[in-house]
Amino acid sequence: MKRTQLACLALASILALTFSACSPKSSDPTASGKPTTGSKQLNLFAWSEYVPQAIIDDFTKETGIKVNYETYASNEEMVSKLVAGATPYDLVMPSEYTVEALLKANKLAPLDLTQIPNIKNIAPEYTNLAHDPGFKYSVPWMSGSVGIVVNTEKITDPVTGYADFFQEKHKGRIVVLNDNREMVSWVLNTLGLSINDVSPANLEKVRPILAGWIKMVKVFDSDSPKTALLNGDVDLGIVWSGEAAILYKENKKFKYTLPKEGAHRFIDSLAIPVGSPHADAAHLFINYILRPEVSVIISQNFPYTNPNLEARKLLTPEELGNPASYPADSSMLETFRDIGMAAADIDKLVTDLKSSN
Amino acid sequence: MAAILDQSDSNQENQRHPRLIGWMLLSPLLIWLALFVIAPAAILFVYSFCSRDALGQVVYDFNLGNYARVFDPIYIKILLRSIGYAALTTIICIILGYPVAYFIGKARPDTRNLLLMLVMIPFWTSFLIRTYAWITILKSEGLMNGMLQYTKLISAPIEILYTPYAIIIGLVYAYLPFMILPIYGSVEKLDNALVEAAMDLGAGPVRAFSNVIIPLTWPGIVAGTLLVFIPSIGMFAITDLMGGARVPMIGNVIQNQFLQARDWPFGAALGMTLMFLFIIAFALLTRKSHPA
Repeated sequence: MKRTQLACLALASILALTFSACSPKSSDPTASGKPTTGSKQLNLFAWSEYVPQAIIDDFTKETGIKVNYETYASNEEMVSKLVAGATPYDLVMPSEYTVEALLKANKLAPLDLTQIPNIKNIAPEYTNLAHDPGFKYSVPWMSGSVGIVVNTEKITDPVTGYADFFQEKHKGRIVVLNDNREMVSWVLNTLGLSINDVSPANLEKVRPILAGWIKMVKVFDSDSPKTALLNGDVDLGIVWSGEAAILYKENKKFKYTLPKEGAHRFIDSLAIPVGSPHADAAHLFINYILRPEVSVIISQNFPYTNPNLEARKLLTPEELGNPASYPADSSMLETFRDIGMAAADIDKLVTDLKSSN
Repeated sequence: MAAILDQSDSNQENQRHPRLIGWMLLSPLLIWLALFVIAPAAILFVYSFCSRDALGQVVYDFNLGNYARVFDPIYIKILLRSIGYAALTTIICIILGYPVAYFIGKARPDTRNLLLMLVMIPFWTSFLIRTYAWITILKSEGLMNGMLQYTKLISAPIEILYTPYAIIIGLVYAYLPFMILPIYGSVEKLDNALVEAAMDLGAGPVRAFSNVIIPLTWPGIVAGTLLVFIPSIGMFAITDLMGGARVPMIGNVIQNQFLQARDWPFGAALGMTLMFLFIIAFALLTRKSHPA
């Protein structure tokens, strides 16, 4: 399968070469690489299952701009394709630590905030964060957390944090995200260390605890951790808040809790890459999705935390009352920072621990 | 002198034409191989000696660090485990597949075509959908446990999904047709007269099977083994979906390098090592299949 992927890459780069060789001859003025006014298309590169088709259709109807929506399943996949440069993307949707990594490598263009008046709708807690100091390069799309979900029909003891969660009596009843950095961050929280300090010394402290935890897990799944919970194969999970919100909508027995030791808040933002050929259309799109009546459609389809305060006012009390989407107390949440090369150390540590299972 | 030259010229002409046509007929395959097998493998080979920067981009500096890391005990252990799972899958496929292939090969032609179609029907559906179907069957509250509990054969659900058993079931299910079809090909060509001759000369059924039938169908077994063993070493989807991603296989480790860890050079080095092992295995197996 890997070979097929590489073959596709090779083919894609050949196609890209052909395409870039042809583009100067093209009569389309928007293909010249410079931002021009009046672009008629927009290359949107975003997470799969995250942009409602209705929003794209309505945007095209209103502006006449055709949206080419391409999807990815991980930040890393997006970065690979973006830096390969085969397609000139106009909008990407990196998570907070990837915004930081792309900024360090000068891959993002500053936003022209005069073209995005609706940015005033964003809650102050989502502006001017460490990954985008000065709030100049990224506009939050949706936010969420990673927390504990418990099937309260099967597990009656209270589970308030990682210490209650990872107990011998829960062995074999647990699903967690198959994401190495997430797993390491839970242990760092438990140890009272920063989730962004992944120095080799800290990883050595993480090792013995994580080794014990991994033995208790029955399923590792990042794509759809709710499946094992719904199927009854497990009773406890550490999952994305959006997955937990869907579980809660399905059945109120699935209770979501933010671990008292601390938890990860992720923020997926829209950003314009350097060299975007339709930057004007990208600004129009950002301003469009920040309208409350548009933003609320995202919330209805994907029940994460909406950073748009005006859009939240349009939600039903039931949607606002979903504890996975809008937790009562989110003060213990912390965002991820870019860790650069340390990703390889984390990968090696978790691979080793899983392998000794 | 001139006549000789003329003759040799026309000889060459005659040879050249069929050769040219042969190459032209082969060219789609050669272009395909060059684009999708040789070029990607060459890219992998170059990457495997490079390193990465903080954003995960490949930095073209020559070093052997990636290959040194391949021989870290962590990855050797995972590689050996993957080989073990693949070997077990292959053995089960031979045990299950051989009688089926033999039966199909010896059936009447119309029955034979029907049976062959039955073997191939699963390919009409996407591999991932078939794997999800297995999840529905094996899960705690799934079809299998439901039926066993309804018939009072068991009192509590058997936990199979997300265990190594599920991985083996998934692998055997996915690759069994690749064992049956080549063996069937050999059985179909098997001359019954030779088996009867062995019986006439006093060989019992066991002796006839082991001394006549097995050697004559050996090429099919070898082809089936290659088709099952090699892809099941690198498989990562089944271990993720049915094994719950608990025990990493070498395929998962390689996939991780290209996605989560963003370490393409190390992934490439693992891939090249695996490819090298496949070449050795292929050479060994094909040498045995032509006994001197």
